[in-house]
Amino acid sequence: MIKMKNIVKRFGANTVLTDVTFEAGEREIFGLLGPSGAGKTTIINILTKQLDADAGNFETGASLFETGLMLDTDGLYSRLSCLDNLNLFADIYGIPHKKGLEALENVGLYDAAKKSVGTLSKGMRQRLALARAILHEPKVLFLDEPTSGLDPNTAKGIHKLIKGLCENGTTVFLTTHNMEEAVKLCNHVALLHQGKIVEQGEPSKICERHNSYKTIPDLETVFIKLTGVELE
Amino acid sequence: MKIIKAIFKKQAKDMFKNPTVLLMFIIFPAVAFIMTVFVTIPDNEFGDNMFVTMMASIFAGMGLITAVAGAIAEDIETRSLRFLIIAGVKPHQYLLGVGGFFLAAALVTTIIFNLIGGFTGTDCLKFLSIMGSGTAASILLGSTIGMWSKNAQAAGGLATPIAVIIGFTPMIANFNETVEKAAGILYTQQINVIVNDFSADMKKPLLVIAANITVFAVLFVLAYRKKGLKG
Ligand SMILES: Nc1ncnc2c1ncn2[C@@H]1O[C@H](COP(=O)(O)OP(=O)(O)OP(=O)(O)O)[C@@H](O)[C@H]1O
Ligand SMILES: [Mg+2]
Repeated sequence: MIKMKNIVKRFGANTVLTDVTFEAGEREIFGLLGPSGAGKTTIINILTKQLDADAGNFETGASLFETGLMLDTDGLYSRLSCLDNLNLFADIYGIPHKKGLEALENVGLYDAAKKSVGTLSKGMRQRLALARAILHEPKVLFLDEPTSGLDPNTAKGIHKLIKGLCENGTTVFLTTHNMEEAVKLCNHVALLHQGKIVEQGEPSKICERHNSYKTIPDLETVFIKLTGVELE
Repeated sequence: MKIIKAIFKKQAKDMFKNPTVLLMFIIFPAVAFIMTVFVTIPDNEFGDNMFVTMMASIFAGMGLITAVAGAIAEDIETRSLRFLIIAGVKPHQYLLGVGGFFLAAALVTTIIFNLIGGFTGTDCLKFLSIMGSGTAASILLGSTIGMWSKNAQAAGGLATPIAVIIGFTPMIANFNETVEKAAGILYTQQINVIVNDFSADMKKPLLVIAANITVFAVLFVLAYRKKGLKG
C-alpha cells in the first residue's frame, strides 16, 4: 500500500506540494494525473526517497530493493549494450544475469540485447528503462510518464506490459497527463493541480460524482471543472 | 565488494566503447615509444628517459584527470548515477569502483611506460610506486572535478586547464629554472625528478605526493559535502 499524508514540499520560497494526501491500494495500478508542473515527479521523488518532504509522512510498503523505478530521464549507459546495462544492475542486486534476458524478453527487446543503447529508438529506450525497473521483480513499481513522447502503438505495448505486471502482483504507481491513459489503465486515480490533490477515486466514480451535466462527463471535463485548466 | 566489482566492470566496458578515453591510455605511451626509438638527441642533458618521463607525467597529470572527471560528471549528468544509488549503491562504492578501475587501467599504461623505459630492479619498483601514487592523486583530483561539475561539458572546461598545468608544467620546468622551482610542489614534477635520476632521494618526492594527495582529499571531501553524488 502506498500512502501519503499531509505532504508539503518547498523549493526555497516556492511551495510545490501543499498538503498532499492519498492512498493507493496493493496490486493495483494507481494513476497520478496532472498537468505539467503540478508536482507529479516531485511526489515520485519523495516516495522513492530521492527528496525529503518538509512535512507529512508517507509509506510505500516496500524497501528500496523491492522498488522499481522509471524516471523522466532514463539514465541508461548509452555506450553499453542493452544487456550490459541490465547485467550491471543484476550484479548490484545480486541476481543472476538470466534475469536480464528475461526482462528483455518481457519488453520485447530480446533481439536487441547486444545492441548499444545509443543506437536504440526512443520507444526501445523507454522499454529498456522499463526492463531495468522490473529486472529484480519489485513489489512496487513507480513509473514517471512511462509513455510520454511515444507513438500510440508503442504506448499500447507498454500499457499491456504494465497490466500484465499488475496481474502478476506488482503494485504500479504511475504519473501521466494523458487522461485516456489514466482511464484505460488505472484502477484508481488522483487528480493533482498546483501541488494539491483535487479529486481521487475510481475514474468512473469520479466522473459520476461530478455529474452536474446531463451526461456523465469524462475525466478531462472534471479536471477542467475543478481547476479551470486543461491537462495537456 | 560485489557492488564495487560491478561498477568496476561497467567502467571497463564503457572505456572500451569510448575511443576518446581509450586513446588517452594508449597515445601517451605510444608517443613515448616512437620518440624514444626514432629521436636521438646528441648530448642529451635530460637523460635517455626524457620522452618516457615527459609522456608519463603528461599522462598521469592530464590524461587521467580529464578521463576521471569526465566519467563521473557524465554519470551525474545522464542520471545513471542516480539509478545506481536508488538500486542501493553507496557513494563510496561507486567512487571506489570508478576510481579503482582507472587506477588499474593507469597501472597497465604505467607498465607499458616501464617496458619502453626498460627500467629494471629497484628502478622499476621506484617507477611503479611513484607513478602509482601520482595516478592515485590524479584520480582523486579528477573525481573532485567530476563531482563539482555535474555535467561532462563543465567537467571538461574545468579539468582541461587544471590538467594542462599539472601535466605540462614538468616539461616546461626542463627548460626554465623558475618554473622548475615552482613546479616542485606538483606531484607530476616529482615523477620527473625520480625518473630522470633513479638514484635521487625518494623521500622528498613521496612527501610532496603525499601532500598533494592530502590537499586533493580535502578538496574532494569539500566537493562531496557541497555537491554530493545524487545528480
Ligand atoms: N529541484 C527543484 N528546484 C526547484 N524547483 C523545482 C525542483 N524540482 C521541481 N521544481 C518545481 O516544482 C514544480 C513541480 O515540478 P514537477 O517536476 O514535480 O512537476 P511535474 O508534475 O512532474 O511536471 P511535468 O509533467 O512537466 O513532468 C515545478 O514548478 C518545478 O519548477
Ligand atoms: Mg514530471
